[in-house]
Amino acid sequence: MFNKLEFEENAKKTTRTSRLIKGLSAVTIGLLGSMLVLSVISAEKAAPELAQTALDSISLSGVENPVTAVLLNFRSYDTLLEIAVLLIVAVAMMPESSRNTSLTAANSRVPTHPVLIGLIRCVIPLSVILSAYLLWTGAYAPGGAFQAGAVLAGAGVALLLVKRWQLNYLRLSARAFMALGLAVFVIVAATVIPATGRALNYPADYAGALILIIEVAATLSIAFVLILLVDQLLNMANKQVKPQDTQTEGLDKS
Amino acid sequence: MGAPGIVMTSAQHFLPLVIGLPLLAAVFCLLVSNSRWSARFSILFASIHTLVVMQVLSSLRDSGSVWRYELGGWGAPLGIDLVLDGFSVILLFATTIVVLCVTTYSAAYFKTPQQTSRFWPLWWLLVAGLNAAFLSGDAFNLYVALEIIGLSSVALVALAGNVSAITAALRYALVGLLGSLCYLMGVALLYRAYGTLDLALLSQTVQGTPITWAALALISVGLLLKTALLPLHFWLPPAHAGAPAPVSAALSALVVKASFYVLARFWLDVCSPAASADALNLLGFFGACAIFWGCFAACRAKRLKLLVAYSTVAQLGYLFLLFPLTAAYGPSAGSAALAAVAYLIVAHAFAKAAMFMAAGSIQLACGYDDIDRLRGVVSHQPISVFTFAIAGASLIGLPPTGGFIAKWLLLNSAIDSGQWWWIAVILCGGLFSAIYIFRVLILAFTARQGEQSSSGGPTHPIPQTMMACGFMLAIATVALGFNAEWLLSYMDINLIGFLAGTEPLP
Repeated sequence: MFNKLEFEENAKKTTRTSRLIKGLSAVTIGLLGSMLVLSVISAEKAAPELAQTALDSISLSGVENPVTAVLLNFRSYDTLLEIAVLLIVAVAMMPESSRNTSLTAANSRVPTHPVLIGLIRCVIPLSVILSAYLLWTGAYAPGGAFQAGAVLAGAGVALLLVKRWQLNYLRLSARAFMALGLAVFVIVAATVIPATGRALNYPADYAGALILIIEVAATLSIAFVLILLVDQLLNMANKQVKPQDTQTEGLDKS
Repeated sequence: MGAPGIVMTSAQHFLPLVIGLPLLAAVFCLLVSNSRWSARFSILFASIHTLVVMQVLSSLRDSGSVWRYELGGWGAPLGIDLVLDGFSVILLFATTIVVLCVTTYSAAYFKTPQQTSRFWPLWWLLVAGLNAAFLSGDAFNLYVALEIIGLSSVALVALAGNVSAITAALRYALVGLLGSLCYLMGVALLYRAYGTLDLALLSQTVQGTPITWAALALISVGLLLKTALLPLHFWLPPAHAGAPAPVSAALSALVVKASFYVLARFWLDVCSPAASADALNLLGFFGACAIFWGCFAACRAKRLKLLVAYSTVAQLGYLFLLFPLTAAYGPSAGSAALAAVAYLIVAHAFAKAAMFMAAGSIQLACGYDDIDRLRGVVSHQPISVFTFAIAGASLIGLPPTGGFIAKWLLLNSAIDSGQWWWIAVILCGGLFSAIYIFRVLILAFTARQGEQSSSGGPTHPIPQTMMACGFMLAIATVALGFNAEWLLSYMDINLIGFLAGTEPLP
């Protein structure tokens, strides 16, 4: 959608007035910035009561890592909405035209370097294992869905860079991958209502398991959306951008 | 946890549904890529959404107190609470009605699978973001909600697909991002100083110290960028005019209101000890400038949708009169001003959405929306022009529309607080709006001289539902004018500190 833009380089000569404006802006920003710094220094930091409350409640959260407890239990609603943000980005960046291929398509005509293939064969399984480890370890140590998703996406991007495999992001399975994290999160949030009477209020005995389910789904979605983003950006960079018609103001040409 | 006097009723369980339902609808529409079925399901979802919100509205009136729903069962400050009071329920009501009409309109407007496959998921995510913002009781959660609103709006603007719209969308994205970051920094400062993110708890502990001023300044700059108050409005006209018509309707009617709502909460409630009368007057001054500049630019606009977009800049100016009218003139004047502005938000949302829908219908039917070529358009677009006229009457503030009541209430509160200069601003603003509205209407009602076939007749027949949706919203602005008391009575259920203990509105 955003690949129709052309950026012109119009390097303007710096005139005296523009230099004056720049200088004035610099002074203003400097003044405002130093006032901000002063106000921060002058203010006392609040007592870390909330952090203590969080640490005290951690035994009820189903996980041992305080970060995971905050992200997926105490403030899980924020994380749910963040996953929705991710879905927005994915939908905005979906490719326009649909190739009639399945989710993954191999292109055997692309010549491959034996070293590259050897490296990929080493790196990909390792990354997948590392990602799974990060996901699992999030329960009691730094890690979790976002880190695991990023590592998994790294593996996917490495595969795409070989150019032998392609993903079709418009297949139903691809869209299901994108939406999986949000869908599972919302469904879990709703299904706990009969048990505890509150949305997102996991029953204490099942909290760990429910958090794991949400994190697995989120990891897959995060990885898939990151791969989609990188792939689309690479396509944009590779594609020669052609000038588009500028006169079709607001009208929807089919 | 939470404020006193809060009762939990069974209807409060609808609150998470108000956010969850649009999220599920988004997932659903993404998976069902068939454009016809997405549209049908969306209309169904929008109807259910309306029923749910109406249920919330009637139950809130029955319970008569502010609602708090502790998500995850933790309660503030550890968890996040959904909070519903009179101000937020009025905005929720406006959102619901506009969403219902825009959804039906969009079902007829978007045809190509390339557009529908993106539009429906993004649209429902936007609705979820709006509802989340109006229900949020947590400063960081508001940031996430604003982020959802901002990003989905950008993607929706870019759906128009032409270069100018995409350029406007990218500019909108950058402005929105800058605004979000400013807001986030302000919230970080508040958290550092007061150790909580819950708005109700913050409002109890915040003091007028330099750190609060800094936080409030950052939050205000961020939100003013997103609300497009005058010096920071530059991104709004191209984005709102370039977007597809139903998106323009939602952006002007709802999206800018979300950031205004958050701004009002921070100035009047959360950070009120830091809000000086001078700062409040300054916001009002910029609002007054926005009224005049928006009207002036609307009078000069060449295209119909651009005119409507500039009219949004002007109408947003009225909202900012709230701040000087509440400044240090006693709680009763303040509560009247807030009620007036809440009512104005609804009236403007209905009128502006109707107006953009009418402009979109005219543009789709004629193939252009240059104002000079709209001569005699009433002969083949009578319903759209009629819709435009009623919505215009509401923007000017003519009876019996909602806009009239809103202006009346604003004038009352300006008189009560003894600030005559705002009376002049409100009255002049109405006159100037009349100029640009009548500029379009006079052209539309003037018969074409001779047979100028070159200027083109009705070339594209447009679906009846599109015209009907705009017309329904225009009727809603009039209906709103007759039901002012019903809506205003919700303002008695209020969280905002200075309103507590005031007598009911006249």
